[in-house]
Amino acid sequence: MASFDKADIEKLIDGVLPWPATQDMLKSSKDEDRFDKYVEIMQARVDFDDPILLPLTPQLFIVSDNGERVVKCKCGQSFGDYRVNWKLSALIYVRDDEQKMGEVYVGREMPDPAWLQLREYICGGCGTQLEVEAVPRGCPPDFEFLPDLDTFYSEWLGRPLPDTVAFEDKTLDEVGKW
Amino acid sequence: MSTTTSNTPLRDRMHANDEAFKTTGSLFGLNTLTRKEDDPGTYEAVWHILSNLCNTAWATGCKVSSSPIAAEGGDALWALHTATGEAVCISRGISAHAGLLSDMIKHFIELGYEDYPGFKQGDIFENNDPHYGGIHSPDFDMCMPLFYKDKLIAWASCVSHVSDSGSVTPGSIGFLNPDCYSDGIPISMERVGEHDAFYPWYEMRIRSRTRTPDFVMGDARGRLAGCITIRERLEEVIEKYSLDFVLGAMNEYVEDSRRYAVARVKNQTVPGRIRKSQFKDLAMKGKRVLLSKQNIDCMFNLPMDLTINADASVDLSLAGASGTVPFGENISPTALKSGLMMGYSHIVGFDMFNSGPTSAWNIEMPPDGSWANPYPVDFQAASGVAWAPAVTWLSNLYEVFGRVFQMRGFVEEMAAGSGSIMTAEFAGINQTGMYLTGLTLEQASQGSPARGYSDGQNSAWCIYTPEGDFGNAEVSELYYPILFLGRNVAPDSGGFGKFRGGLGHTAVWMVYNTPGLEYSCGDAGMRSKTVGNHGMYGAYPVVPDRPGYGHKTNLKQLIDEQKPLIHERGGPDNPAVTSKIMAELVEDNAVAPFVTPEQLVDYDVIVHPISGAQAMGDPIERDPESVANDLNEGWTTQRVANDIHGVVTSKPNGHLVPDVEATAKKRQEIREDRKSRAVPFKQWWAEERKKVEAQENMDNAVRTMWETSMRLSPEYGNNIRKFWKLPEDFTFTPDAQ
Repeated sequence: MASFDKADIEKLIDGVLPWPATQDMLKSSKDEDRFDKYVEIMQARVDFDDPILLPLTPQLFIVSDNGERVVKCKCGQSFGDYRVNWKLSALIYVRDDEQKMGEVYVGREMPDPAWLQLREYICGGCGTQLEVEAVPRGCPPDFEFLPDLDTFYSEWLGRPLPDTVAFEDKTLDEVGKW
Repeated sequence: MSTTTSNTPLRDRMHANDEAFKTTGSLFGLNTLTRKEDDPGTYEAVWHILSNLCNTAWATGCKVSSSPIAAEGGDALWALHTATGEAVCISRGISAHAGLLSDMIKHFIELGYEDYPGFKQGDIFENNDPHYGGIHSPDFDMCMPLFYKDKLIAWASCVSHVSDSGSVTPGSIGFLNPDCYSDGIPISMERVGEHDAFYPWYEMRIRSRTRTPDFVMGDARGRLAGCITIRERLEEVIEKYSLDFVLGAMNEYVEDSRRYAVARVKNQTVPGRIRKSQFKDLAMKGKRVLLSKQNIDCMFNLPMDLTINADASVDLSLAGASGTVPFGENISPTALKSGLMMGYSHIVGFDMFNSGPTSAWNIEMPPDGSWANPYPVDFQAASGVAWAPAVTWLSNLYEVFGRVFQMRGFVEEMAAGSGSIMTAEFAGINQTGMYLTGLTLEQASQGSPARGYSDGQNSAWCIYTPEGDFGNAEVSELYYPILFLGRNVAPDSGGFGKFRGGLGHTAVWMVYNTPGLEYSCGDAGMRSKTVGNHGMYGAYPVVPDRPGYGHKTNLKQLIDEQKPLIHERGGPDNPAVTSKIMAELVEDNAVAPFVTPEQLVDYDVIVHPISGAQAMGDPIERDPESVANDLNEGWTTQRVANDIHGVVTSKPNGHLVPDVEATAKKRQEIREDRKSRAVPFKQWWAEERKKVEAQENMDNAVRTMWETSMRLSPEYGNNIRKFWKLPEDFTFTPDAQ
């Protein structure tokens, strides 16, 4: 079983690992401790102390915040219960006319706003652009990933989390309160 | 282990295999991989020999083939199967077809062909009919039973993409086909030859019903040559390693691959539910179409809903897929599954590419009457280029697995998805006086997706084939009456992100030496009204495909006067086709797909864009040095560098370099601008739901798409109503036809 230095994994994440070493990582059987090393690396790079349970994206993390499993941005901005699509707690800027589209796409590269809107999800803390959706009006925001965290920790990693929560999508419950 | 023997009828053996998998969880009931454990060296050696045997078939078959699609582009595939049809290993080439070929063999067995007409050495069977599992008519699927000492021990199979299959319009990208009757010559689960030769009536049918019969028959002989190559080489392998070892190992390779894919999912992903939307336009209103019902614009809904279970099996649903379209862009579930197998093999189970990983899938049948399962409702649905929506949907698989690989820290495995896939076909008399129609291979060499650690590569990848080869320009010029004026990297064609997609390119052709040529700017997964895909992790999506052409140009005069010609796409607001040449008719911003309404003539010019792939990450996190490098290479523009990436440059020594302080300041300003102009989601939602209910600024194609999606998948529809708090009986209302 392969094993890689944390420093090399950090270089990989930053896009500066030399290609031969990257190829080595691609070709080797996977290192069993990668998840733990990756979490350690990310933990050192975020602006909060809550333990990371899962790096949801390179910028967003499911963390244990006083026992609550919430999504947080690298900067510490909280997006609430991980079972509610985090986009509901983000800032959003929507390009749905030619003037707004034209700030990104010009001339013949302009999509048709009657067919498509560009939704930019922004972190209210640091202003990072977290996701961009290109969807027609009427499309609910993509809830890209709802992890089955308890199965992951108990059955796949073999170390159950201290408490369990139901594996369920609570996004529509949240919207129902609005 | 299954208790069947080599004398048991194949259908019974196939059913026994299914039962053994159900009861043991292992394919063929193989709880132990005996040959692998007892003799791992020989096991590995025979795997490579069998794989190389398929590659030899590919090399032989492509050489024998006639059309440039197979002969130059390698757009074909050969495979070796077990006696019951499971794909064991495949050649290089269009790997999307391995599952389809496997299902075809199983279908022949299931239909009782073993009894009638029977299977014997030298038989040739084919299918290209989507109603029986084919993808589309130009992809001719072939298989031959392989016997050893009077026992059927295996199958060889092949697919090649012919230049014309006799559909209502010339060529092989039949997006204009209005129904299955216009899809071209059907080979419907037929024995088309015996004793290693095609029946005379097979060739007669090809000659009377395709436009390029010499090429189509040449490709048929190429398929046959490759299959015979597999048969002959397999006999040599058996003589050397014994029948028992080879057949046993073939089963073990399939089960081994299943185990690998399941283990990889468990060791490198996270259980949970993945959802990703995807959309594709097909705007045809006001263009040259064949029937009045086609004078419409269409939008596809291509949703992916995937659950990774605790046991690492994968559930997959297409709930929400929109309805069929009156164009050749509907696909059978069998063909869609085959495409999925290819994508899955690239991303998850690529150690031994075969049928094994598919046994860990639970695929929900797509909604009846959707583009992904047309026939229960619309038996006449056309499938001329059924890949078009399928590969667009398949792109999600790359992205969503990229996301779960990231969660486990396997950054080196991360990839984004594809962009847009637009094809070019020609039809007309070429420079030798021969009528010719066929596909160029430009789209087979797009930019590759951004990786978790780097940009994608330029012009090196295509989602439907690992070949990534657009062939030699000179060979295309031999076949078609065109000359390349340019084939160059297109700036800003790979999205804008921390890591951008590999860039696409532009082919610029001059029509030459023909009395008239039709240019079909076709659809194999293109987007033209919309962008190519989403962004990923905050990147901006790939630009739409907008081709151009000039008719009755001044190019001859420019050549005679030795003045500059046109070689590239030009800037988005300064197309080269309008700024570099003069023409009586200029189209500089065409919405694809289309067929030229007029015959193109000598010195006409076509500017054909090929897409890059999806980018990844916030564009203001892109390394400023990479942005400066792209500027110096001519791969991006100052507007994008400054406004999108927030990079300020200076040019101290003839080369642009980033101004670190000014860039940091600019990027901070962008962050602040974003926060000040964006609003809380709930605030936007409150206003947006009113616009959704009023169907405000929604093209008819979009409303039609939503209406069919919500009707065909009621639960999906209810979730949309709940999200926007719409009335329980709300439906979107398309315009009256």
